[in-house]
Formats: sequence, C-alpha cells, structure tokens
Amino acid sequence: MFAGGADVLQKRCVSCHNAKARVGGLSLETRAEAGAVLTGRLRARVEAGQMPPGGGLAAGERAEVLAWLDAGAVWPGRLGTGKGLWSLEPVRSKGGSIDGYLREKLSEKGLAMSGESDRRTLIRRITFDLTGLPPAPEEVEAFVKGGDYGALVDRLLASPAYGERWGRHWMDVIRFGESNGYEQNHVRPGAWPVRDYFIRAFNEDLPFRDLIVQSLAGDLVGKDRPEVEVGTGFMVAGPHDTVGNQAEGPKRQQRADDLDDMVNATASAFLGLTVNCAKCHDHKFDPILQSDYYRLAAVFAGVVHGEREVGTASEKAAYRAKAGPLEARVAALNAVLAGLRDRAKPGLAAAEARVRGRMREAVSAAGTVESFGALRARFVRLALPAGAPGGLDEIEVFGVDGKNVALGATVVSTSTRVADGNPDAYSPRFLTDGAFDKRWFAGVGAGPALTVDLGTAVEVARVVWSADRKQGQQGRFAVQAPGRYVLSVSLDGVSWREVATDAGRLPARKEAQERLFVLEALGSGAEFEAAEKELAAVEAELKALPKLRRVYAGTFTKPEPVYLLKGGNVMQRGEEMRPGSLRALPGFELALDAPEGERRMALAKWIASDANPLTPRVMANRLWHYHFGHGLVATPSDFGFNGERPSHPELLDYLAQRLMDNGWRLKPLHREIVMSAAYRQASTWNETAAKADADSRLLWRYPPQRLQAEAIRDNMLAVAGVLDKTVGGPSYQLYKYTVDNVATYFPREEFGPETYRRSVYAQSARSIRTELLSVYDCPDSSLPEPRRVVTTSPLQALALLNNSFVLDMAKALGARMAADADPVGRGFALAFGRGPTASERAGADQLVSQYGMAALARAIFNTNEFVYVH
Amino acid sequence: MSINRRQLIHSLGAVALADLLRGGAPHFAPKAKRVIQIMCPGGVSHLDTFDYKPELEKRSGQPMPGGEKEVSFQGANGNLMKSPWKFVQRGQTGRWMTEMLPHLGAFADDMAFIHSMTSRTNTHGPACVAMNTGFVFEGFPSAGAWASYALGSMNENLPAYVAIPDVRGIPPSGPANWTNGFLPAEHQGISFTALEPIRNLERPGAISAEADLATRGYARVLNDKHAELHFGDSDLRARIASYELAGRMQLSAPEVSNLASETKATHELYGTGDSNPLLAAYARNCLLTRRLVERGVRYVQLYCASRASGVDGLLNWDAHKTLEADYSRHFPILDKPTAGLLADLKGRGLLDDTLVLWTTEFGRMPTHQEGTLGRDHNPDAYSVWMAGAGVKGGATHGRTDDFGRRVVSDVTTVHDYWATVLHLLGLNHERLTWYHNGINRRLTDVHGHVIRGLLG
Repeated sequence: MFAGGADVLQKRCVSCHNAKARVGGLSLETRAEAGAVLTGRLRARVEAGQMPPGGGLAAGERAEVLAWLDAGAVWPGRLGTGKGLWSLEPVRSKGGSIDGYLREKLSEKGLAMSGESDRRTLIRRITFDLTGLPPAPEEVEAFVKGGDYGALVDRLLASPAYGERWGRHWMDVIRFGESNGYEQNHVRPGAWPVRDYFIRAFNEDLPFRDLIVQSLAGDLVGKDRPEVEVGTGFMVAGPHDTVGNQAEGPKRQQRADDLDDMVNATASAFLGLTVNCAKCHDHKFDPILQSDYYRLAAVFAGVVHGEREVGTASEKAAYRAKAGPLEARVAALNAVLAGLRDRAKPGLAAAEARVRGRMREAVSAAGTVESFGALRARFVRLALPAGAPGGLDEIEVFGVDGKNVALGATVVSTSTRVADGNPDAYSPRFLTDGAFDKRWFAGVGAGPALTVDLGTAVEVARVVWSADRKQGQQGRFAVQAPGRYVLSVSLDGVSWREVATDAGRLPARKEAQERLFVLEALGSGAEFEAAEKELAAVEAELKALPKLRRVYAGTFTKPEPVYLLKGGNVMQRGEEMRPGSLRALPGFELALDAPEGERRMALAKWIASDANPLTPRVMANRLWHYHFGHGLVATPSDFGFNGERPSHPELLDYLAQRLMDNGWRLKPLHREIVMSAAYRQASTWNETAAKADADSRLLWRYPPQRLQAEAIRDNMLAVAGVLDKTVGGPSYQLYKYTVDNVATYFPREEFGPETYRRSVYAQSARSIRTELLSVYDCPDSSLPEPRRVVTTSPLQALALLNNSFVLDMAKALGARMAADADPVGRGFALAFGRGPTASERAGADQLVSQYGMAALARAIFNTNEFVYVH
Repeated sequence: MSINRRQLIHSLGAVALADLLRGGAPHFAPKAKRVIQIMCPGGVSHLDTFDYKPELEKRSGQPMPGGEKEVSFQGANGNLMKSPWKFVQRGQTGRWMTEMLPHLGAFADDMAFIHSMTSRTNTHGPACVAMNTGFVFEGFPSAGAWASYALGSMNENLPAYVAIPDVRGIPPSGPANWTNGFLPAEHQGISFTALEPIRNLERPGAISAEADLATRGYARVLNDKHAELHFGDSDLRARIASYELAGRMQLSAPEVSNLASETKATHELYGTGDSNPLLAAYARNCLLTRRLVERGVRYVQLYCASRASGVDGLLNWDAHKTLEADYSRHFPILDKPTAGLLADLKGRGLLDDTLVLWTTEFGRMPTHQEGTLGRDHNPDAYSVWMAGAGVKGGATHGRTDDFGRRVVSDVTTVHDYWATVLHLLGLNHERLTWYHNGINRRLTDVHGHVIRGLLG
C-alpha cells in the first residue's frame, strides 16, 4: 500500500478510474494518464466533494489528497497495478486437487483437516445435502456396514430429490415467486411449470451454459418445445406491479422497475455483479458504468410480464385446425351484423322514437321508481339477478302520503359481500339508513333477494332504489343500476305478490338500446337475431376449445427505446441506449433497432461463454456455498469490490475450469466436491484450530449446518412416513388465498394431505409469511437471496412446538413407531439415524408410558439433533 | 471486510444467547427508548386534516392555476375542491386542524408537524412499504426491524417489535410492511392484536400442561447431551435458550393482551366500549399498544385502517370518489382512541421516553377527481406528525403551495424522516447497516438528513 494522498486515490478512485474501466474516460493509474486532470479538475472535484459520488471523500482523506497535490502529486508507482477487479481476470487453473489447495492454506496456518467422519454422520450429511431428505434407517445401516461412498453419491445425484433440493437453492438465487408482489399480489397460476423446469434442469444435469441460454432465450432455442422454452420464466420470475396508473411518470416508473428487476436478476444470478447499483450513477466500487446498466436494460426492452401459450408443433397445429374455421365464422357473422346495421341506418331515428314511445325509461343509478297503486304489505322484496353490478345505496318504500316507511327498517339479504375482517363493510342495513353514501353489495353466487321488513303491515304505493343517488360518480367511474329485477310484496313473508318487474323498460346499456332500434328499423329482425344467435354459439364453441397451456414465461414485443436516465429519474431521459454487454469485459453491442430476440440471444451467448470469467466462477462458488454452508467467496452474488475476496482464489479457478471442462455439467463437479477429504472430514470441534479460524473458513473441520426451512419440514414428513413424493405439477397452498381487489393470504389452521408434498412444491407467494417456512429463514422471494441468514428465535420454538402441522406429523410418527416391535429404537433410527442410549431409552419409555407415542415424536421434532447436520 | 461481526455471527448460525436477547447499544445518548408508529393506510388527505389552505377554500370550484387537465393516478382532475369541513385553531400554538379531530386537537401543542413530506410513488402498496421501510420495493427491513436489530428488546419475554393490523384487515402489501427483510428473522414485526395474539403461542388444546412440560423436558435432556457432545458449537446452546425464551413468552404474552385488568376509566378514555365496533376495536389496539410499550416492547406499529377494498375509501383513507362519506367514517375511529393513547402515555410519564409517530402513504390532490366528489393520490405533498420523547411540540417543518399541491419549502423524504427518528433513538442512520447483495444497506438508503427543527 502507498502512503498519503496516493493511498487515498488507490483506495477510493482507481476502482473506477483505471486503465481498463476508464470511467468518465479517465484513468488515475499513472501520472501520465492523469495528466489532463492534474491538478485543477482533480482538486476541484475533491474540494467540492463531487468525487467519489455520494458525498465525496471523508474530511481526513480530502486533506491528504490536497496536501499530496500541493506537494507535487508524486505517483509512488502504478496505482491499481494488479488491483483490478479480481473476478474479471481470466480463469487460470493450475490443475491439482480440491484437497491439495485446502491443505496448502491450512498448513500455512499450522492447521490440518480432521479425520474422516463416522459413517452415520456422513450418510446423514450427504443425503440431506444432495436431496434435502433424511436417509432411511435401512440405508444408514447398509452404509455403516460398509457401503460404497461413491456409489451412495451417485445414487443420490440420480435421485429426483436432488433436483428438488438444488432447484430450490437456484430459485432463491433468481427470486422465483408465484405471485405478482406489490399491492395486489395476485397468484400466478401459470408459474409452476417454470419451477418444474428448473428442477428438471438440475435432475437432467442440463449443462449450465444451456440453462443460461434457455433462461434468456428459451423461446428461440426451444421453439415448439415447451419443456425448453418455459425457461424464459426466469426473466419474469420477479415482482411486477399490476396496479393501473394513469399518471405518466409512475407509468414509466413501473416499466423501469420491471426492466430493473430483469437486469438485476440476470447480473446477480449469472455474473455475481450488482449492476443495479449503476442505475443512477456509475458504480461506486466496481467498473460498471451507468450506461452499462442501460445497455443491459435495452436487451430486455421487448420482454413483458405475463403468461404465454406454449405447446408442441402438433399441439399448436391441432388447435389451429379447430380454432381457425371457428374464427373465420365469427368474422363472417360480424360482417353480416355490420351489414344489417348499415341497412337499418336510414330509418334509425324514426325507429328510436317509436321504441322510446312504447317502452318505459331505463333503470337509473340515481333512482329506479316503481309505482303500483296502494297495497297493504309488511314485506317488500327486491330480487336481482346474479352478478348485479355496483350495489345499492338505498331502498325507499312510500305510502300514499309520500312518507318513506322503510326508513330504519330491517333489511335481510340472501347474499352480501364480505370484506376481510369486516363483515359489516357492505351490510344491507345501509339500504334503509336514509343516507346515500355507504352501499350494500351482493356476494358471489346466486342472485340476491333483499327483503325489507316494515315491522307492521302498512299501505305501500311506490318503491324507489338507487345505486348512486347523489350521482357522485360519473364518466368512467359511473355506477351501473341493476337492469333486471322482480319486485314483490307480502303481508306475512310467506305468500308473495309480484308488483313490478323490469319488463317493458328500455335496457340500460347504450349498446342494448341501439340494438333494439336497429331491430325496429329493420322491420323484421329475424335475420339479425339469427346471426346473433349463431355468433354466440360459435364464440362459445371457440371458448370451450381445450387451450394450449399458458405459462408465466413472459411475452415478447417490439422493443421500446431505452434511454439513459439521469440520476435514475424516469422523467429525465438522456441518450437512447444500444443493447450491449458490460464494457469491463470484451463483449457485444447491437444497433438501436436490433430485433428483439437477437438482443437476448447475444446476451445469453456472452454470459454463457468459456471466455466470460465470471459465469463459471460464480456458479462453482454457489455449489461450494451450499455444500459447505459458505462459499469460497462469502458473498455469492457479489464478486465486486464490495463483496468478499475468495478465501482460496486458486481453488475457485480450479473449480471454475473443472465446470467448463465437464461441459458445464454440474453433477460431476458436485461429485468431485463431495468425494473430497475436506467434505468427508468430521465436524469435531478443535479448540486450537478454532482459535486460528473460528468459522472453519479454511475447513479444518466440516462446518455443521442447521437444516434449511424446507428440509426441516420435509424431514418431518419423511420421518413421519407420510411424504408424498410426487414430482412436479401445480403448487399446493400453505395459506388461505382470497381476492377482493387485492390478494390476502391468511394463515391456515389445518393442513390436509395435499400439503404432504415436498416444500419446494408449496406455492411461493411473494412477501407472504408461511409460518413454519418463514420462521426458519425461508426467503419470501421479494429479492434474490443468494445466501440465507440462519437465525435462532423463540418463534421457531413456538412453531415447532404448537403448529398444527407439526402435531399432525407427531401423531403420524407416533403411529409409525407404535407399529414397530421396538418403538423407541425405531423413532431414533428414523429421526437421527442411530439407536438410543440406555438413558435416552429410559427417558423415552417414561414419556411414552405417561403421555403416549405422539409426545415422544413431538419431543424428537424439537431436538437440535433433528434440525442440525454435522 | 464488508460484513460486520454481528452480521457474520448470524450468517454462520452461531448465535449466542446474548444476541437472542439484546441488540447492540445506541450510538449516542437517546431521547426516546421506544417508538409507537401509527400508520393510516390509503393516503390521508393532508388538505382535510392538518394542512390548512385558506386559498383552497376561497377558490374552490375554480380551475387550479397551472394545473389544468392534470392526470394523476386514476386519471383526469377537475377543479379545486375545498374540504367539506372547517378548519379550527387548536392549542396555545393555534395550530390549524380540521374540526373533525377534536380529541387529537387537545394535543396540538405536543405535536411537531412535517407538511413537506413527499413520496417516490403514487401507488398504495409501494407507498405504504416505502413509508415503513424506506424502499418502494418489497423485501427491505421495516423501521421497527431496524430498531429491533439496533437496540433489541427491553423485555426478554416479549418480542422487540410488534405490528398491530387493523380489524378491517391488513394494510396494502400486508406483512411486507413489518418484515425483517434481509435482517435476521427475529427482528420481524410479530403480528399481535387485541383479537388475535401471536401465532402458535398457545399450547394446543389436545395436549395437557403436564404432557407439554414432560415433552419439552425430554427434548431438553436430548439437547443437553447433544450440546455436550458438540461442545464447541454455541448455536446449539442458543437454540436451547430459545426454547426457554419461548416458554417465558407463552406466559407473558397472554398477560399483556388481557385488557380486563385495566380500569373502567382507562377503557373509557380510549373508547373500547364504543357502539361503533370499528372504533372500539382500534381503541382496544391502542390500549394494547400502551401495555406493550409499558412492558418494554421497543417498537409498536399500529394500524388505523387497512388495505384497499373493491370500493375506494371504504376500508381505508383512499377517498377517491366520496370524500365526505369516507372521512366521516374514518375520523371518529382515529380521533378518540389515538388521543386516549396520548393522554394515557402522558399521564403515566411514558411520553417522556416514548416517541409517537403518525404516518400515512401520501397526500391527496387539492382538485376533485373528474367525475367524482373525491380526491386522487398526491405523492408530491403530505403531512405527518410526531410527539413525545425528544420532539419539539408545536414545531413545523416544511410548507406546501397555496393549494397544497406541491411542497415549496424543505422538501422532505421518508429517508429524512427515518434519519430523524433514528436520531431520537440515539442512532446515526449512516452507521446502522447490514450487508446484503453487494451493499451495506440502511433504512435511509444512501440519503437522509436529520430534521433538526423538530428536535426538542
């Protein structure tokens, strides 16, 4: 390190202003390169606190730089020499072996690896690691007796449970969620095939290079192959705001946020770079320019959130063969109707006058009136059709004296909408409160009937009801009045007399009125009506055709122009950006009008290239991270200056090279890692080693790990013997899902067997806590989560003690144990992969004798041994 | 190294018992020990509550100068529309407030107002989340989670951070408003209302107290042996401790939510027996709030109203179409119970070291929404107030134009707001960080200035 001002430059300036990145066209590596800005501009920027961005230098640093400039600005050597971003250097592998690299570092510290783990511990470790499930007792015993470890590894890697475990890891990294997030947060019913795609990709050992290409351009490389093209679901796996916004700025912001999510997901998952930090200004730490960010955004400029129809060529052809003729018939019938409307035109005005003359006026939201002479009645009933829009704000019943006798009367409705937590929100009592504000709304289902109880029989002559009496909502917000109704009265509430219906009224909707005028003008409407009837039938037939599968994999459109946004502000557009790659690495740049698919394909090829040093390093490190609990780079999605340096840079390059040498297949690399002595060593504590390396970053022991949330839940299902191992398909819900404009997710009190599948198949709605999973640190897919935190809290204890699912599992395990000749032995073998000691057995026997087998099972689920792997 | 030591401890799962119970220490002497944040979802109209605009009254019905044909969230706007209610002066300071909040008016001199709040978004979900977390995107820790992380709980038998949703439902974007985000899960807001206590708190009915005790005792025996075998792994001990903590929480939480032990006078002060069930329910949550902070809960987030329903303005403050009817419902619910809470805190001396915050999503337009008698969203100006520990009562920060359409002096963001709140808690907002995905994240992002004028 240098001293004084040069050191400050080295630390704070050269990460951007180096010969390679040349942010702002400037390198400060040498005095010669800095020449143009020496000393005036450099001094001015430093003095004004304009550089580095975000408030400039700290006061002490500033003083040092100024003093150094005053003293003649002597460069003590080339700044930044060898100090470029390490992860951008080409991958250089020297061969060797995993254990060799690790032992080298250990011996530098005077440490050594621990001996091989005992076999019970090892099979539990490798089984949870590769499959997220516990080994069966029989598997444990066979392995302890001398099973072959390599064969075990191969069996586990070949198991479908491997993809379920590692696919779930990958979905953390790519923020895959099955709802839109934001305020409305509706579920995406078409998202699960994308989850299955990733699980399948891991299980089939799809070369990671191909996974990248399919994630960004699956529609192009997998045309007519749904199992491939749904990979594009990666791009739209993140949140998306579905609230309609009329204001220009926010509308632009919504789209900018979509693009930001795609750029961020792509750069963080594949490149391990925080490109999104360059949205408002050049990256403060890494050689990523603000314009780089918008070049990447331009790649995604034609990608739109939503479902897409997918199908094989024959499925598509079969659909077209059926739909084509029907669509043609629809067009023909519409033409017939249009022709008839034209024919009616000359006589239309006269026809309208005739119709209006003989029909009653249409219903009105401001008030619909029915008068029927005086009748004695206690009950007045207004029956409406199903789906009547808009609700009502009042019902009035007038006697002959013009007095509203319904004021304050009880109203009973056969159907009322309920807003969460507020059953009173749309109550029918608002109909007789004399105020025209709060409204009653019907619930879903059959048409509602509103019965007003006047308390006693009185003379009634006129009934008035309204949906918006004050006409407070006009234009696009106007409230519709129910067009169909039946009004009846009754003395006893048993026998009813119908007093009015909507018969003879003009329809409320303008189109329906115009239709009547056309029919009148045509004289005979037979031809028109026949065409209408056939059109309805053909449209129904078309609608009923079995559709192609719709998958939330995005749609593609002509790319919109993408501008560099000054300060990230959507209202401050700068230059229009060409699609292109990050300029810190050799890459591509396309024309402003480059076709949509070409952009994504270019990016995919650039990322999934042997020449891109980031991609294989980042992925190799992810595998290491999940196998050992921490990566060689401890910040798996940040290989920039603000992330951590690799603990073993040469080993990382070795692994990256092995990944490429294996044709980018992951399973051989998994195998090599878990076959290493480092992976197989014991986790035994060693006080001396811990003093030098408490967290075992150098791997003097295998670091014990708490199971991830999904594995804890799946472990209970497996041990209880009720795990349904069905692979793939629609998700099950661990919450109660309701929609009333926005979605609401309620915790479930009971969990049926449909939830007894692996946790990876639980629907992962965004921002929603599913108690057992969330409390054990399962991320909520709002943001990419490349490294879960591991927490310990009393809420976890409460969940494992008292949640109804855990109790169901305890019952099931209890029954499973009871069926065995040695229940306690069986319980320990299932849950811990070992037998009980004498004192453990004695304690268990006592618990069982007093409180039953389920109590023992509940105790087992709450032990540390159940949720930790050593 | 970018990851601080406390964070590293979490990422490795090596949580010591002390970390379970306590956060760190404040950066400097705090004025406030605890926070009550009242949140009114839907976007409370500043023009009908706290930001008095005589010019709006005068020119009601005329086009807004320079604002013709303005398009906001739901569409076009009509002419200027005055508040349906009068403004009156309250307290020694003569603070102008709507006549519809008489009980709160009694505390006018305790309140410090910001009339120059601005939001980055005009949409409920992101705006609500932004008010609570500093970010419009979901997944970032809420202010209460930061406070829990920084300071921990003052009562090891209760959570540090409690969120109390309204009886009408959860707010827009739901639990994202009290999430721990990427902070460790123990800093999440625990959802807890007078109606519905903590999830999984109660021993299931089918299990007797003796069976429960014996089961936990046996698990403890196994855990102790296991921890002995792996004596170096302190996280195993921490997990054992978490079970003890859970047991204590099971005893404490029902006590705190048992409002029956309060006097009749206290119940009347809050209005828990009011004939309006929504008012009574919010009043019970206000009373619960006092009991929680009194027992050492660090941060309570208390909701008055909920998410949007199918009808604008019905369940929350989102008065798009029928302002008068909507706010006639919402004002009384907010007014008496909140004032009761302030009075009770004051009477017990709790207001001296408790900071009370009143917040919302954004403001509303001075014009009526075309075709309606309501106001559309206005992210460019809204009002909030705070009272209690360290707050200069009667202070005002910022000003809007003659119609309240935009801020004309001291533009304030949620980051400035939270920088100020953290300051009152003895925390430097630039030093309270957590490394996540490449950045040392803060409640205040990379922004925020403490608003000195509000500090007593």
